Amino acid sequence: MSETKTEKTVHGMMAEFTTVDSLLAACRRIRDAGYTKTDAFTPFPVHGIDKALGIKPTLLPWIALGAGVCGTLIALAMQIWMNSIDYKYIISGKPYISLPAFIPVAFELTILLASFGAFFGMWALNGLPRFSNPLFTDPRFDRATDDRFFLYIDAKDERYDSEGVRKLFGDMGTDYINEVVDDESKKDVPKPIYLIWGLSVAASLVPLLCILTMRVTNSSSPRFHVFFDMDFSPAKDAQMTTSLFSDNRAMRPDVAGTVARGQLPESLDVLTGIDVEALSMTDSNRVERLVRAYLMDDQEAQDAEAATIEDEQSAEAGDESGEAAAETTKPSVMDSTPWIKTNPLTVDRYLLERGQQQFSIYCSTCHGMDGRGNGLVNQRAQSKGFDTWVPPSSMHQETLYGEVYPDGKLYSTISNGIRKMPGYAGQIKVKDRWAIVAYVRALQKSQNASMDLVPDSEKQGVDAAVKAAKAELERQAKEAEEAAKKREEAKKG
Amino acid sequence: MSLAIPNGLDNTVERPGERAPLVLGDTTYHDITETVCKVAERPPSKGWVGGFLVSFALLQMLGLLILYLIYTGVGVWGNRAPIFWGWPIVNFVFWVGIGHAGTLISAILFLFRQEWRTSINRAAEAMTIFAVACAGTFPGIHVGRAWLAFWLAPYPSLNLWMWPQFRSPLLWDVFAVSTYGTVSLLFWYMGMVPDLATFRDRSKNKWRRMAYGILALGWTGSSRHWMRYEKAYALLAAFAAPLVLSVHTIVSFDFAVSQVPGWHTTIFPPYFVAGAVFSGFAMVLTLMIPARKMLNLEQLITIRHLENMCKVILATGSIVGLAYGTEFFIAWYGQVGAEQFAFLNRAFGPYWWAYWTMVTCNVISPQLFWFKKCRTTPWIIVIISIFVNIGMWFERFVIVVTSLSRDYLPSAWAYFTPTWVDWGMLIGSFGLFFTLFLLFCRTLPVINMAEVKSTLAKQEHMAHAQSDQH
Amino acid sequence: MAEHAATTLKPADDPAFSLPSFLSGLQLPLLGGGLVALVVGVALAFTAQDETMPRFGFSAYLTAFLYVTTIVLGCLFFVLIQHLVRAGWSVVVRRVAECFMILVVPLAVFFLPILFSLFFEGRLFVWTDPDFAAEHGISEEIWGNKLKFLNPLFFTARSIFYFAVWIGLAVFYWRTSTTQDETGERAASERMQYWAGPAVMLFALTLSFAAFDWGMSLSPMWFSTMFGVYIFAGGILAAHCLITLFTYVCQKNGAIKDEVTEEHYHDLGKYMFGFVVFWTYIAFSQYMLIWYGNIPEETEWFYVRQHTGFGAMSLLLIFIHWLIPFAGTMSRYFRRRPGWMAFWAAYILVVHFIDIYWVVMPEARRLEHKVYPDFGGVLGVAGSLLCVAGLSALAVGLALRVASGTRLIPVRDPRLRESIEFENF
Repeated sequence: MSETKTEKTVHGMMAEFTTVDSLLAACRRIRDAGYTKTDAFTPFPVHGIDKALGIKPTLLPWIALGAGVCGTLIALAMQIWMNSIDYKYIISGKPYISLPAFIPVAFELTILLASFGAFFGMWALNGLPRFSNPLFTDPRFDRATDDRFFLYIDAKDERYDSEGVRKLFGDMGTDYINEVVDDESKKDVPKPIYLIWGLSVAASLVPLLCILTMRVTNSSSPRFHVFFDMDFSPAKDAQMTTSLFSDNRAMRPDVAGTVARGQLPESLDVLTGIDVEALSMTDSNRVERLVRAYLMDDQEAQDAEAATIEDEQSAEAGDESGEAAAETTKPSVMDSTPWIKTNPLTVDRYLLERGQQQFSIYCSTCHGMDGRGNGLVNQRAQSKGFDTWVPPSSMHQETLYGEVYPDGKLYSTISNGIRKMPGYAGQIKVKDRWAIVAYVRALQKSQNASMDLVPDSEKQGVDAAVKAAKAELERQAKEAEEAAKKREEAKKG
Repeated sequence: MSLAIPNGLDNTVERPGERAPLVLGDTTYHDITETVCKVAERPPSKGWVGGFLVSFALLQMLGLLILYLIYTGVGVWGNRAPIFWGWPIVNFVFWVGIGHAGTLISAILFLFRQEWRTSINRAAEAMTIFAVACAGTFPGIHVGRAWLAFWLAPYPSLNLWMWPQFRSPLLWDVFAVSTYGTVSLLFWYMGMVPDLATFRDRSKNKWRRMAYGILALGWTGSSRHWMRYEKAYALLAAFAAPLVLSVHTIVSFDFAVSQVPGWHTTIFPPYFVAGAVFSGFAMVLTLMIPARKMLNLEQLITIRHLENMCKVILATGSIVGLAYGTEFFIAWYGQVGAEQFAFLNRAFGPYWWAYWTMVTCNVISPQLFWFKKCRTTPWIIVIISIFVNIGMWFERFVIVVTSLSRDYLPSAWAYFTPTWVDWGMLIGSFGLFFTLFLLFCRTLPVINMAEVKSTLAKQEHMAHAQSDQH
Repeated sequence: MAEHAATTLKPADDPAFSLPSFLSGLQLPLLGGGLVALVVGVALAFTAQDETMPRFGFSAYLTAFLYVTTIVLGCLFFVLIQHLVRAGWSVVVRRVAECFMILVVPLAVFFLPILFSLFFEGRLFVWTDPDFAAEHGISEEIWGNKLKFLNPLFFTARSIFYFAVWIGLAVFYWRTSTTQDETGERAASERMQYWAGPAVMLFALTLSFAAFDWGMSLSPMWFSTMFGVYIFAGGILAAHCLITLFTYVCQKNGAIKDEVTEEHYHDLGKYMFGFVVFWTYIAFSQYMLIWYGNIPEETEWFYVRQHTGFGAMSLLLIFIHWLIPFAGTMSRYFRRRPGWMAFWAAYILVVHFIDIYWVVMPEARRLEHKVYPDFGGVLGVAGSLLCVAGLSALAVGLALRVASGTRLIPVRDPRLRESIEFENF
């Protein structure tokens, strides 16, 4: 069937085999016959054929290794440059050059580049892709990818001689030998392919051109907003309405059970100023109510507790006029409650300073900066002469000293109020109320302090201050006298 | 050429000292070519067309949902404080996990010289790539402004003049998943070139021949080419094997480098990898068993292949079970309150149903594979594999949702409820997966013919050697 | 399809299968010398105890014990996994692994000193010290819960269970395999395969918990779920090295020359390479997660290993346990040269000791803030080295004794021919 076409370039000679073993035997024979430019074509890799044909090992592993090492180095250099040199910032307390954190990406790039090396290196070494190959002219060569094995001797081989090779192949028991010649089919690529190629190149340039145009063009019209609500956030301000929630409030109330910072519930003792353990011996019902009121946000219990305290306070207020009579009436809740004797917080300079600050904000308006009960509000009320006005207590009466008026009771008074004074539980934080208690104690002490308590270094200062104060008092007295004289003179005149 | 399995030959029994055949029947090289090429060459069956239409419709749904999501915002999902990761990340980890079997079969089993891989590696690799495509979709749209996802890449930006944050595990993920996708694609394509050449040489139609011809890169089957090709294949396998491990390791880092109770535990890397292989094999089995029946591949994908995969599932399922146990034990042993709470909450908290679904499907159901009957009966395998898939989805759900829903801040605790969009996207991602897989069946060689022929040649060689001895 | 000249198997009693006389002559010197070295080493280690390292003595012994145990268990795992996957290539080296795996029986005796340490409060495991919690400000509730697991009685019971499992497995596989040498029945192989699955699971469970008990509980407040896997990774790596090295030594002395070929070294080399990478992977992951999470109760363990001499050792491990053997066993050229592989095997066996030392010894320090471990001076170093050398010599001596009573390969294994003819491609 093989019609020799002498006028065409001859590339080599090909023989077909049906089994692996016959192919291997043939390979060894042509190797031993001295042919070097040989090749076998098989539908699957045949092991041992490289030895049989004398094919040398490939340098592919080295290419892959080199590419892999490049990958590691590139990845490390990239990460160190980007995160540790060019644009450095600290994240989660990690150092700028965080090698452990750079390893994953370094590993991935190593693998990626090594794989590229192996993959593209293999095709390059194989000289593929090569779409036009004279071997394909042989119609039976299609079966090289199916179930047949082909042996090929290239015409460039020094020992190549058409007849000799044909004879050699013939001896091997093959039933098909063919000379591989040039492909005579048209070499032109079909026109539509060019058209498709050209069109796709042109189309792929369009987006690029668009971007480039936009980047160099100035425009006075505002930017087009695709996602309007992302460019202009529809965030709500306080007090606005919204349809998102059923109560239409944009401001959300605290989630049930939320505790603001610094308001983590203290023990019940600290919250109420009552020695709860002692109270539980005498009045367990009240303890239960306190727990519900203070720890469980039970409105009912809160009201009941407030009512108890209020009743007793107004009762006390009634008694206020007749101190002596108080002893005959039954002991009030305020007296029978086992109050905490001492401040549960550590009293130090910081606490006192805090207490002072809070006292001057909340208490001094009525009680005065010195706690004598003559704050600005009182002065105004007195000057207007309101008859319902109950003057604020002075902190410096003995009934309010710590021995008879325990810290807990004072705290409770600040929290719940007394007589006309409202409770400040809503305004002043728990710890700050205790700070005020501590400050009031300091204030009381300051009015009864002996000179022994003053440190030596301060004594001079105190003396000077006392002198200055005396001078000031004298000056004021003189002024008052002069003013009185003037008034009298004016009356006379 | 007979395609029926010869009676009485059971290749699941292997006497020590002899290797059971992996290709059944009096199959010749040409039979293998015919069997595999026919799958793509004959006109599509009704089942294929029906399946394709359904999956394609689901894919369209996914596309529309993504458009809806991008236009409206991520509020359409059930993700709410504190469960910001929600279903998209559950689905991402689920699909990445599925994508581990393919490269594992091609690379690791290749390195271990497990020849049974040759019949299943092509389809499994295809599944890998399609699963990675599904997986990549979710973090892409989860970033919120999906059209700016390219900011994840370290490119020199003239506007921002800043670089991505390489100390973040989320960026490691970007590199890991994209490297994995790329290398898997190279590996898959390279393995396919000789088979594409077979397709080319069998094509009668000019255009078909040209298309396959371009894809086959002019492959001739030259011994020199084969030699370099095999070297490159072995190298890629050696690179892909640690790569497979690294990908799910890095996915596990996403969780484990944080301090969220239930996430921060050192066993996560190997445990995630085992889980991924576990789910991947389950998915391969779920698809391969119907496929081998419908595509007449029973002589190439034999019961022995299925049995081996069942054993891998049993082994990895047990590792996963051991890891669940270890986590629980160390949570107790460590005596860290938050950690203990996280695990008790998983098992007995509001998501107890998810946890026990996971344990039942992942730990208990694969134990049936201890019985040979279960390993060799296809319908039982399919059922168990589906259970495993469900279980592994729930595992990711349990990890993502239970830990986030009960974080350190009790006032922020919440219960996660998926929206219809969440459901739609999960189902739609299956549409993407199946559409790609069905297209693959019709257009590309579903079985690695060259390697199966190679296995057959070795099998015949051994048979000769054995008959020589007797 | 390279063609083989049909391999003729040698008869089962061929002299090439028995332990070379030079090696069997080493038994007594090794056993005697090992015992002396061990005793001297322990004595030195106890003298090296001081304020900073109050638990040096028992810890040095534990280091040596864990070194040998991890390798022996690695050999046991090697045997189990070969049966599980029905491996053909490894048959010719399996008996070497079996000779070492059976050493879990004498190792149970060598475990007694560690049990003995429980009588001395806090001399090895600080959780045996009744004052530990109070001195370190650990709440009673937490410590009470810890002691539910870490108490001498339960600890002993667990250790007995581990050894029972391992001895059971080792004896079963040893008996079945050596009986097959005589009978040659295929059913024996089938039996070994049949039980390999459950055996591997039991092994994984016991090894993981043994690592928690014997290694992790040295630092009772520290925990890492990965710890068991880490110990396993080092052990299985060292086991492959030991098999390679021992086979090489046997061949150098004239035994099993035709059976074990460069192909087997090539495969063992691949596994050595693979497990070097695996160890690195596990070690890195464990470090990375703890480093990144930065939670004090976890970082403590690495923190003390980043200071003074152990800091240098930690850095060094990256190079000697990963980079150097990684580069050394990567190339096919080296893997196919038995001499080179034997060198790398010996090297990794040394490095494995450094790894175990690095895990155990820092926990011998006084557990206080800013107290960093040291190597115990000249006495300490000499003691630690003598302990491990002594125990290893004892183990090798015993293994030689075992090997001299049997054949060096499973001569009637049905897959022997496949193994001998095995070729890499």
